[in-house]
Amino acid sequence: MKKFLPLLALGLLTGCTTILETGDKLERGLTPPDAVNYATTKPEGGFSTQLNDNRIGNKVELLAARKSKTDGGYTRVQFDLRNGAYLRQTINVSFEWLAADGTVTESQPNWIVTPLEPGALTTVTATALKAQSAECRLRLISR
Amino acid sequence: MNKLSLLACAVFIVGCGTPATYKDPQGRELVVSLDKVNIQDFATAGSQMLQSMISSPSFSKGAPVLQLGSITNDTADNFDTALLLSKLTVPLVNANRVTLLDNDATANAARATSGSNANVPRAEYVLKGKILEDRSNAGSTRQSSFVFQLTLVEVKRGVAVWTEEKIVTKQGTKNAVGF
Repeated sequence: MKKFLPLLALGLLTGCTTILETGDKLERGLTPPDAVNYATTKPEGGFSTQLNDNRIGNKVELLAARKSKTDGGYTRVQFDLRNGAYLRQTINVSFEWLAADGTVTESQPNWIVTPLEPGALTTVTATALKAQSAECRLRLISR
Repeated sequence: MNKLSLLACAVFIVGCGTPATYKDPQGRELVVSLDKVNIQDFATAGSQMLQSMISSPSFSKGAPVLQLGSITNDTADNFDTALLLSKLTVPLVNANRVTLLDNDATANAARATSGSNANVPRAEYVLKGKILEDRSNAGSTRQSSFVFQLTLVEVKRGVAVWTEEKIVTKQGTKNAVGF
């Protein structure tokens, strides 16, 4: 029995690095799939949010959305995100562009994996390809 | 009876596999491979390259004439580099942000026989690049990094006016599904 104790301790220590990951997997197994969340710029400035997965609201703060024009007149946006948790997180972002009348003009065909260090500010930027793209809709999922 | 039981068990085990289903190629349930560039890696690198490229002064106004140069695949994986280039050219052409030269032999022959006097525009820029890989491991954990490099060369001056590098890194012990 005494021979097994150090082995058990070693096993526990080795396993320490994966405890968080396992916990995360357990949590994810018990909860529904991650819903997509939105932040959309407004014509008058600022942004509106649609939070469909409350867990992301506890983890990530959306601090600001800035909108500007490039030299060619195309809309460019920047969203400032902050990881308010004590753990490193990974979120995935994607952009959709809307015309002034609300119709979708462009969609990004993939998710961009965005690591967020604890407390760190991260800025995600997108530039429209079409001149009629006026507003930007940021799509976020927590994993 | 024992043989029958074993056979039943074998059939049961074989039947446990996941049947093939269609997946959204832009979704989050795609296979992530450690030993090859996945379709979503091209999409990720391509869209980030595109965003960087359209922010360069060369693309700030009008629709510059672009010719595609060579993209060297310097990885152990065999794939068509058009998988990366299309992620840039498709949105740029469809948004009328570039005039893309097409050197297709059939199209050239058809133009010659049609007696068209229209001038073929001269390339202002050439897009070239390289895809590299780096692999390492620590114990059973494997890591693969695929490096996507693109350069935009201004033909008139022969100088690079935009260049970008994006790295897609994947780490794990085995291939998986999802992010």
